[in-house]
Amino acid sequence: MFWHNYKYAFKTLIKNKALVFWTLIFPFILAILFNMAFARLHDYDVFEAFDVAVVDDQAYKDEKVFSEAFKSLSEEGDDQLFKTQYVSKEKAEELLENEEIEGYVYVADGEPRVKIKTNGLNQTVLTTATEQIAQSAKMIEDIAMTEIVRQVGQEVDVAAVYQNAVKIVSETEPNVKDESRVMNMIVIEFYTLIAMACMQGAMLSSDMMNRCLPNISNRGKRVAVAPTRKSILVASYLLAGYTMLFFSVILLIVFMRFILGVEFGANLGLIIALAAVGSLTATMMGMFLSIILKTNDAAKNVIILIVTMVGCLFAGMFGGMKNYFDESLPLVNKISPVGQITDGFYSLFYYEDMSRFIVNVVSLLAIAAIFFLLSIRSLRRTRYDSV
Amino acid sequence: MKNVIEVKHLTKSYKSNKAVDDLSLEVKEGEILGLLGPNGSGKTTTMNCILALLKFDDGKIKIFGEEMSPDAYETKAKIGVVFQEVAVFDELTVYGNIDYFCGLYIEDKTTRAQYVNDALKLVGLEENKSQYPKQLSGGLLRRLNIACGIAHKPKLIFLDEPTVAVDPQSRNNILEGIKKLRDDGATIVYTTHYMEEVEILCDRVIILDHGKIIASGTNDELKALAKIEEKVTIEVADLSPKQLGGFEKIKNVSEVEYDNGVLKVVYNKGKNNLGDMIEYLKTNKIAYSKIFAERPTLNDVFLELTGKELRD
Repeated sequence: MFWHNYKYAFKTLIKNKALVFWTLIFPFILAILFNMAFARLHDYDVFEAFDVAVVDDQAYKDEKVFSEAFKSLSEEGDDQLFKTQYVSKEKAEELLENEEIEGYVYVADGEPRVKIKTNGLNQTVLTTATEQIAQSAKMIEDIAMTEIVRQVGQEVDVAAVYQNAVKIVSETEPNVKDESRVMNMIVIEFYTLIAMACMQGAMLSSDMMNRCLPNISNRGKRVAVAPTRKSILVASYLLAGYTMLFFSVILLIVFMRFILGVEFGANLGLIIALAAVGSLTATMMGMFLSIILKTNDAAKNVIILIVTMVGCLFAGMFGGMKNYFDESLPLVNKISPVGQITDGFYSLFYYEDMSRFIVNVVSLLAIAAIFFLLSIRSLRRTRYDSV
Repeated sequence: MKNVIEVKHLTKSYKSNKAVDDLSLEVKEGEILGLLGPNGSGKTTTMNCILALLKFDDGKIKIFGEEMSPDAYETKAKIGVVFQEVAVFDELTVYGNIDYFCGLYIEDKTTRAQYVNDALKLVGLEENKSQYPKQLSGGLLRRLNIACGIAHKPKLIFLDEPTVAVDPQSRNNILEGIKKLRDDGATIVYTTHYMEEVEILCDRVIILDHGKIIASGTNDELKALAKIEEKVTIEVADLSPKQLGGFEKIKNVSEVEYDNGVLKVVYNKGKNNLGDMIEYLKTNKIAYSKIFAERPTLNDVFLELTGKELRD
């Protein structure tokens, strides 16, 4: 009975054009569009440094780590990102107004900030680079301060501590001078896209649940009067949805890796494991939403799309908003499956240490478990108030 | 004959509205029981309670002697249900749909294949088995809906308004198919608001209104409740008040109604009322263009018992 259900559920899913589009074709289309949009950044031979300005006041000079790092990105050579002019605030405004620069950097309240006039790729690069340099600079300062505090009472070699902090940060964070700094932004877009593909897969389990609950669909009534246990029905349907989602995500990853050349790191097993856990979380979310939303299939799918897209925005899709949300709303990406999946791929690619990846996977499993337990409460009902 | 279904004092409310009100009924093995009533009379709610889909406030329900519950899998295996709404998969062919739903009851593939083919034959969809539901007309889709509900050869079948919005050809096919199921030994509960279908099909009828049984019995037993033997309708272009009064004095006439050139005369007794009426018209030199007689219908019974038409 289980496999009979599974076979037909899978058959109906792969023939459902709307579901196939949203869970399989749409992520592929976006991947291709992303690839076209970022093609310039992939090819560093044709990447040209662009004009920016820095407000060279005392506040900027006080941010030594930041100003040094930014300066290094403005030096002529293969890694040059910016053609930087060091000017007053008034001059920077004037340059921006006259569109002679793409944007300018200034420091206010001890925080480096960017002012841009229009949105575009160069502006995104400037914003992202500034945010990441600022993050790395802060990390260096924190590590150095911790070391200094540890050495209180001893003779502190400030220069040595500072050097050591730079070393630690350069080993744990992507090298800000490396070309991967710009790639950083691009891969996050692609990783978020995979997370989006996972979470849109919630539509599959939502559809599956719709067909086995009598208070939700007519087909649900038909299967509810059959002599098949609800647990078997639900498990077989969800497994069918999960199978389709998992293979869609794997297909997308293969396509990104081997056709588009997106880097995922070398640990294939963990990449598949993350895709499997992400798909599981999405499957549970779809089940939960399908049970609590007393509305039709189309409306449920729209809600799943909205939830997914908001998660993608927070996680870094659509141009480098990840850092902003990580700083201003740190909890959001911690409880958002999209944020955790994105961060999981990011961790696999950037860090040797597995602890961050493990946190991502455990968080996803915990979110899946919560959705599952909340769903079970409704599923245990055997008779309904109305059908 | 033993009882296949026993329902005692079933009560089901939706908030303050009683959808089923202290309803008791029995269904005998091998019979077709018609549940007749207007929309909202409680037919479908009663059926859903019997099938353990709905919670109910009070009452006992037994099917095949066992108390019905959502976990009564052995009992459920003997039941087939055709719901009012078409519930099939657009992504599966006609054959695939029947095979899928049949597979919820029958695991053996060989037996199932035979059952699916039998169901296709019963509803006349053999030539459409490779088509998808969207390629079928409304009538054929209804037939597929029926096939999905009965392919596993259940002993007890619930059919909830299976002929709503179907063409006459499909309706005839469906009704013939239901008779065949009964002839093959199935017990059938048939809910509808089409009194003609009940008259053609059902061995026994229960008339529901506002969740209550207002009458039950065979067709003849119910029609006896209407206190009408025959209705004679005559098209008469012109009729004076004196002539109209004359009709009321005819023996066994209980009611006379004249409207828009159509005269309706209701007899409460008598066997040759039409012949007597023709003779009366001839004797009194009343010109008429058409005349015909009708036996009372279940609508007359409903009208007699509730004061309203069945389809109101």
